[in-house]
Amino acid sequence: MLELFAIPLVKIVVLIGALMTVTAYLVLLERKMAAWVQDRRGPDRVGVPLTKIRLFGLGQPLADGLKFLFKEEFTPRHVEPLLYTLAPVVTLASALAIYAVIPMGDTLPLKIGASGANLSMVVAPGCDVGLLYIFALSSIAVYGVILGGWASNDKYSFLGGLRTSAQMVAYELPLGLGILGVVLVSGSLDLGKIIHQQADSGLWFAFTQPLGLVVFVVAAFAEAARLPFDLPECEQELVGGYHTEYSGMRLITFLIAEFMHMVTVSFLIVILFFGGWHFWGLTGSGPVESWGQGILRIGVLMAKVFGVILFFMMVRWSWPRFRFDQLMSLAWKVMLPQGLLNLALMAVLCEPFIAERIGSRHWGVFLLISWAVALLAWLVTALVQPSGPENSPQRVEPSI
Amino acid sequence: MRTDDPSIRWIEEPSLGLSGRMFLPLFVQGLTTTARHLFSPKVTVSFPEERPKVDNPLIYRGVHRLNRDAEGRVKCVACFLCATACPAHCIDIVGTESPWPDREKYPASFTIDELRCIYCGMCEEACPVDAIELTSLLDLTGRSREEMIFDKEKLLSVYDQTKDTEPMPSARLGGTL
Amino acid sequence: MNLLLATIQETWATWTTHWHVWTQHVPMLQSRLTWGAILLALGMWLLLPRGGRRGRAAGALLCVAALGVFASRLPFLGDWSHQGVFWLLAGVTVVAGLGTISMRSPVYCALWFSLALLGTGGLFLFSGASFLGIATVIVYAGAIVVTFLFVLMLAQPEGNAYYDRISWEAMASALSGAVLVFLLSVVLADTFNSPRSTLAAQAPAAPALAKGVLAPEHVATLGGQLFSRYLVSVEVIGVLLLVALVGASAIIMLQGRTDARGRAARGAAEEGSPQ
Repeated sequence: MLELFAIPLVKIVVLIGALMTVTAYLVLLERKMAAWVQDRRGPDRVGVPLTKIRLFGLGQPLADGLKFLFKEEFTPRHVEPLLYTLAPVVTLASALAIYAVIPMGDTLPLKIGASGANLSMVVAPGCDVGLLYIFALSSIAVYGVILGGWASNDKYSFLGGLRTSAQMVAYELPLGLGILGVVLVSGSLDLGKIIHQQADSGLWFAFTQPLGLVVFVVAAFAEAARLPFDLPECEQELVGGYHTEYSGMRLITFLIAEFMHMVTVSFLIVILFFGGWHFWGLTGSGPVESWGQGILRIGVLMAKVFGVILFFMMVRWSWPRFRFDQLMSLAWKVMLPQGLLNLALMAVLCEPFIAERIGSRHWGVFLLISWAVALLAWLVTALVQPSGPENSPQRVEPSI
Repeated sequence: MRTDDPSIRWIEEPSLGLSGRMFLPLFVQGLTTTARHLFSPKVTVSFPEERPKVDNPLIYRGVHRLNRDAEGRVKCVACFLCATACPAHCIDIVGTESPWPDREKYPASFTIDELRCIYCGMCEEACPVDAIELTSLLDLTGRSREEMIFDKEKLLSVYDQTKDTEPMPSARLGGTL
Repeated sequence: MNLLLATIQETWATWTTHWHVWTQHVPMLQSRLTWGAILLALGMWLLLPRGGRRGRAAGALLCVAALGVFASRLPFLGDWSHQGVFWLLAGVTVVAGLGTISMRSPVYCALWFSLALLGTGGLFLFSGASFLGIATVIVYAGAIVVTFLFVLMLAQPEGNAYYDRISWEAMASALSGAVLVFLLSVVLADTFNSPRSTLAAQAPAAPALAKGVLAPEHVATLGGQLFSRYLVSVEVIGVLLLVALVGASAIIMLQGRTDARGRAARGAAEEGSPQ
């Protein structure tokens, strides 16, 4: 009973609490980064409540949350009330439920229950279909967007919802292809096992599958609707996108879910391509033996995820955004073929290398081939330049 | 707009070139620019603690003041040119006969509604005797609407407050009036 | 008071005797499943959108009662926590299924359908077929119903037509649905209840299960099976899907060409016509 209900329940409570807090502070960090990149200082006034202690603006998330909490929960008269309320719930629930299979570290040497195994840092340890589960939930997240757009009964929301869901559905394909290469090489869908595989070989999949990494990261940006692919919200065309008609707690539910998607894909990038909790000469590779090692692994994983999140925030201010047709042509004409190429390459290379027919001394050849193919694919893409429809105004000879 | 309008000058879109199409140089360029700004000095002014720097107080358009002449009398001659020029109609002057021999009229009352004022500086332009001027005081606050209607005394006190930091241009030029 | 009770008892006894005499020639009428099916047919007929609003609550009640009758014939799983999870998932699935057929708005139908699929996926997960469960959610709820929703939302933005809001042949569909459920339940009940039934005899022992679907690596096993034993079927299905894809692109390209031809013809006609 203890192992079946109590431990997962405690894990879930701790995880959701931590996630919500961390998300709130990441929003503060995002605002700070935005300010710094624009040579501003960012929010630095709100500190400890009811005092004059400023504490570099660390009280800002609390103030933001309170503000949303006390805002009027306005329901416009023209919406479908049931679905209008349901949409943010679906979005947040699916965004949170993904964390059931994402490891927050390896294990801790804390023996609970009869099995005597280490305490795993996953809510659902050993989930054999972990990656598929993540996919299933990210496809459920589309419902929240569609429902929010449709139930708002407003053309901007509706168009925004359609656009967002089209984007998410389109980029699920390259996302899956990027993952498939990793799954093929590691032979498992369990995220914990994928990390252990990288730790054992000491060779992160980012090095062996550069093409897969590029495809996955681009698709992850699009899935999380981050710049340069933040087409869902677009002030000049769609007002606020699918959550135009939302306010108060429902709006912040949408926003938190959106932000959490970014954290999720950061975890996935680190776990699938950057070795998860593994770092050479620091964390070891076998099962956890001591508390220090267990905590170190958690720390390394969190540091890497934090780095990826910082990258996400940097990218936001670095490049102009794509137009929607460019986004779609990137998905279908660039990312899809490259993902397929990566998959085929891994399938071909897997056979001799993973099956140990060629000894592990020849990993260099593996690396060389995969990097050469990646660069070649990139070059060919640049030369062919598949692009969207040509719709710039064309020169017309004066008729007079 | 007609695309066959002969007055349109058509410009060829510059081609990206191979490196541009590979996105990589642009990728690096964007990130380095962002990173440089991330650590560059910030321009934000923390307002209440830190005063914003006014480059040239003479041309800054802040709170109004009524200037005094060398004898300490109000300079205004109640000619109503500023009230006429004011696009917001925020200046109200009641002129009366001057007690002094060197001018015919002077303002018995001179009020400016600082809330209605749009700080365009037309009054300053219009004034023939350089009596009304806009100072570089920028943090004008009040607790009520009445408080924000400045009368003659208050406008003169603004002059007393700012005359050392912002001398009258006419005084600097050696003007007499 | 006693007299009243006695009268009721007597009446009840008479009626039940009459009933047994009546139905002894038709043993089907003595089965609970038959009455469940009849209730279900009636309930579904009332529940289906037929234009008016009358009787939908009664229909929902009858359907729930019928489901209760069917559920009372299901075997107990042996553990209350398991039983509870099963009831929850099964209830969600079946109620969502009823919702799918009884809603007026096609969008709501699609949403109830996706909920039914989620319940199905949950049932698969519950019985240990995790891959099947997740795949159901990804393929049906995540891809197909989303496409439905796209079409439904784009098709009639100004509101649904009358013929989309009512169910056609409500009587026939309710009857055939109830008959189908009845037949399936009879077969299942037969399988569960007779000890010598084929399914029970062929049930794999625990070690065999551990090697099969309930193994910790059952996705890998499934993949191995798909690409060895069922390779030909997988390839055939793949080719079938490819043909569908090529067909879709061909239709689009053809349409583009006919559009262009039509435009050209129109243009020629306009040029030919006197100014």
